[in-house]
Amino acid sequence: MTLKLLSVVPSDRGSQRCRLGPGLMSALGLSLGSPLLVSVPGGSCLCTAWPRPDLAEGFLQMDLKCSSPTLISHPPTHLNLDPDQLTPTPCPKLKGVKITVVVQSVEFKKNTPMRLVHELVKDMLKGVYVQKKHVINLEDIDTEIRYVVVESISPDSSSAGLINSKTGVEITGIQTVRHYRNQLQDQHTVVLGGLEEVSASLREMLQLPLLYPGTLSSLGVSCPRGVLLVGPPGVGKTLLVRRVVGDVGASLVVVKGPEVVGSRPGESEEMLRGVFERARTAAEEGPCVLFLDELDSLCPRRTGSSAPENRLVAQLLTLMDGMNQSDRFLIVGATNRPDSLDPALRRPGRFDREVIIGAPTLQQRRAILSVLCERMPVCPSVDMAELAQRTIGYVGADLSALCREAAMHSIRENSKGSGEQAVGVKHFHEALKSVRPSCLRGSLGRTDLSLVSWEQIGGLDEIKLKLKQSIEWPMMYPEAFVRLGLCRPRGVLLYGPPGCAKTTLVRAAATSSHCAFLSVSGADLYSPFVGHSEKALAQLFRQARACSPCILFLDEIDSLIGSRSNSQTPNSVQTRLLSVLLNEMDGVGLKTVEGRGTEKILEGADHNHTQEQLDFQEVCNKDVMVVAATNRPDCLDSALLRPGRLDHIIYVPPPDKQARLAILKLCTESMPVEPDVCLEELASKSDLYSGADLENLCKEAALLALQEENMEASAIKHTYFLRSLNKMSPSLTAQQIQKYHTSPR
Amino acid sequence: MSKAALLSLQQALRKSFQTLECNQKVWKSVLSECSPLMDSLANLAEQWKALSNIQIANTPLKDFPDLEEKLRFKLLLATDTVLGKLNEKMSALQSVRDAISNQVYAVIQLYEQNADSLDLLSVTERSATAPSIADMLEWLQDAERYYRQQFLKKKTLLQTVRADNLSLLESTPEKWKSLESPSADNHITDTLCKVSFFMESQ
Repeated sequence: MTLKLLSVVPSDRGSQRCRLGPGLMSALGLSLGSPLLVSVPGGSCLCTAWPRPDLAEGFLQMDLKCSSPTLISHPPTHLNLDPDQLTPTPCPKLKGVKITVVVQSVEFKKNTPMRLVHELVKDMLKGVYVQKKHVINLEDIDTEIRYVVVESISPDSSSAGLINSKTGVEITGIQTVRHYRNQLQDQHTVVLGGLEEVSASLREMLQLPLLYPGTLSSLGVSCPRGVLLVGPPGVGKTLLVRRVVGDVGASLVVVKGPEVVGSRPGESEEMLRGVFERARTAAEEGPCVLFLDELDSLCPRRTGSSAPENRLVAQLLTLMDGMNQSDRFLIVGATNRPDSLDPALRRPGRFDREVIIGAPTLQQRRAILSVLCERMPVCPSVDMAELAQRTIGYVGADLSALCREAAMHSIRENSKGSGEQAVGVKHFHEALKSVRPSCLRGSLGRTDLSLVSWEQIGGLDEIKLKLKQSIEWPMMYPEAFVRLGLCRPRGVLLYGPPGCAKTTLVRAAATSSHCAFLSVSGADLYSPFVGHSEKALAQLFRQARACSPCILFLDEIDSLIGSRSNSQTPNSVQTRLLSVLLNEMDGVGLKTVEGRGTEKILEGADHNHTQEQLDFQEVCNKDVMVVAATNRPDCLDSALLRPGRLDHIIYVPPPDKQARLAILKLCTESMPVEPDVCLEELASKSDLYSGADLENLCKEAALLALQEENMEASAIKHTYFLRSLNKMSPSLTAQQIQKYHTSPR
Repeated sequence: MSKAALLSLQQALRKSFQTLECNQKVWKSVLSECSPLMDSLANLAEQWKALSNIQIANTPLKDFPDLEEKLRFKLLLATDTVLGKLNEKMSALQSVRDAISNQVYAVIQLYEQNADSLDLLSVTERSATAPSIADMLEWLQDAERYYRQQFLKKKTLLQTVRADNLSLLESTPEKWKSLESPSADNHITDTLCKVSFFMESQ
């Protein structure tokens, strides 16, 4: 038999009664008004048993006068209870209780003498059954006193008891409802992964002035009051603040930019003043944080004209200046567009510190993933480190979306067949396809490339090895690179005649190393506005760095970026783009807003091997690799070709006889060819044919077969190959190839 | 044995309802005595307001020395007198509350002593003329809670009134009126009607 939990009837409010059927009451051995502890998910409630007026069984209605703190904010609804969840509790008369009183307003707390509060509370609690650590809800009396938290009872031999007129009531403290609710919320916050350093510095700023106020004043310094959190969307700025505030036990006043902006002139400023006033009163009770989310919308850069925003910015500045030392609250601002903030905000005295949270690094991603997967039934075969490597460029929000998606996949699979609920590797891989990193969302060069493996490219073994050396090895064997003092190459230039698989080679390299891959063409970069193209290229590099290791592919670089020496117009777009590219590849340094964790220094390895490898990877693979391809290397600027920029310059030659044979084999793999077809002969006859030509040759031969044998052709004969070979001419010339043999550098 | 317990409990219940009935009348009469006092409090609040709105130096009354201080003192005295009288009424109300509370606690205690001999069936048994014991205990508790809460609300209100806080003083008479809930009072009258047959069936 289950009991259906119904909401309490209005006449029972504040009576602490629990209505149940008389049959159940006698089964539990209860008489009228016997105390009864009802456990529900999330807490319990102490009430007195009464029969329902209609004497019906199977229902339960309880008044939450004395219940666990969590039930106050989330009262149980739509529950079916088991009779086991009702326990009769002996309640002796209490000698004394220690309580904390929660009142509605600060004014009442300030103005009311303690003696009066004591008198009122004692009257209110008379005849109430209380349980240790429970909260007595006094809202039904409708006075300023809202709740009473039972801290301890005496005699403490039992956990519950009855307060009568002889019970001594001792008040240990008075709080306001707002403060109390803030404290309640803190108890169930999520754990945060990968933001330890930032949260430690934030916590220090909050706690230091509170724990050691004397030290700071004796040093004669004022404690910092403003922190600006800067970082791309989704890295967890808001969550971090809530978490730290919860840890420290401070109360939080949140201002979302649009909320304070009113329609009438002066209204926004007034609301802003109100918010500061609220923070000030909250700070009187304990530590307090005023959190300005999306600060850029609240406080944009002031323009010359008298825009209404200017007044709001000015008000915020004066309010931040007007905080005196006794106002012990901290202002935290969060933004993802620090450049659009008013510069006056970013000086010491207003936002003293700026904390930059970048896209998470490998280690941080691993920490985030392990936090996210803590409560998910994940197969033991799922390797978080491997998953962290695959999720380059993902921020915290992306990772949680990824986990959710993986769990959804597992649910969908389980709904088809029955099986244990566990999220496996394949679910994560499935989810990786649909959840893409938000760092790259809206980026110029994002491409959905088709997967190409090294084996799908015939010949060119030497080139493949070189490419693997420069792209794959640094990712897979970072410790070897460090041991030999090698650093990752900055860039690779592939040059060679057209049609010789330069682009396909890059595609294969991107496939084999699981890094982010961005590709840009002229169409992405050029725009009719002056300066727009350069900005786009710089932005592209910034995004690529945010999700490093990353390959940035510039196809046909000669047309994209010109040369300074032989161009007619010295100040063309091409030249300016070139200067941006040179700067981005080997400039003085990075912009400060691109911070990513603290710099780690490798020390003596005392962890296990995999950990060590992860460390190496995190330290070594922080750069963007530029891969460029061209068939006119002579048109490139010499500054671009020096070591440190495009270090490796690889010539992709037209295929020799061996390579042509390998290409032909690959091309004819899916074609039914007669056994008399001699690919060696074809290979020797097709001198100066490029890979693209050879593929075309096979296509032509197959079409010829269809043409001759009238759609019923089942296999391609050797003659068709020879005939199409005779019809075609190679696209390359010996003269052209000769040109490439002079090194471009 | 159960019969004897039942009879004594019923007797106690009858007595409690009688106490409730006469105390209800006392409560009402005390409250009606309070309303003129509240009116004079409202009047005093108005005088306070008038005094604070005026600059005596700008009026023909400026020749009287220390007029404002004297007026303030007089008003303060008057307010104190009214509040003192209200406090007296409050103690009358408190005695009503205590009488009801004591009676109800006594009945419940009597039930608890005999709870073992009274099974649930007999306490929830109703008849055409008499409600069940459970119902009557519940009604008594409800009535006791009502008077206790009313008293608490009124006491909180009066205790937080201060002569120096004008807006609080002004709003007190209105708040006092809003505290009264005729529906809950009627509920008690209804209860007394419901038990009238039971009370007569001695």
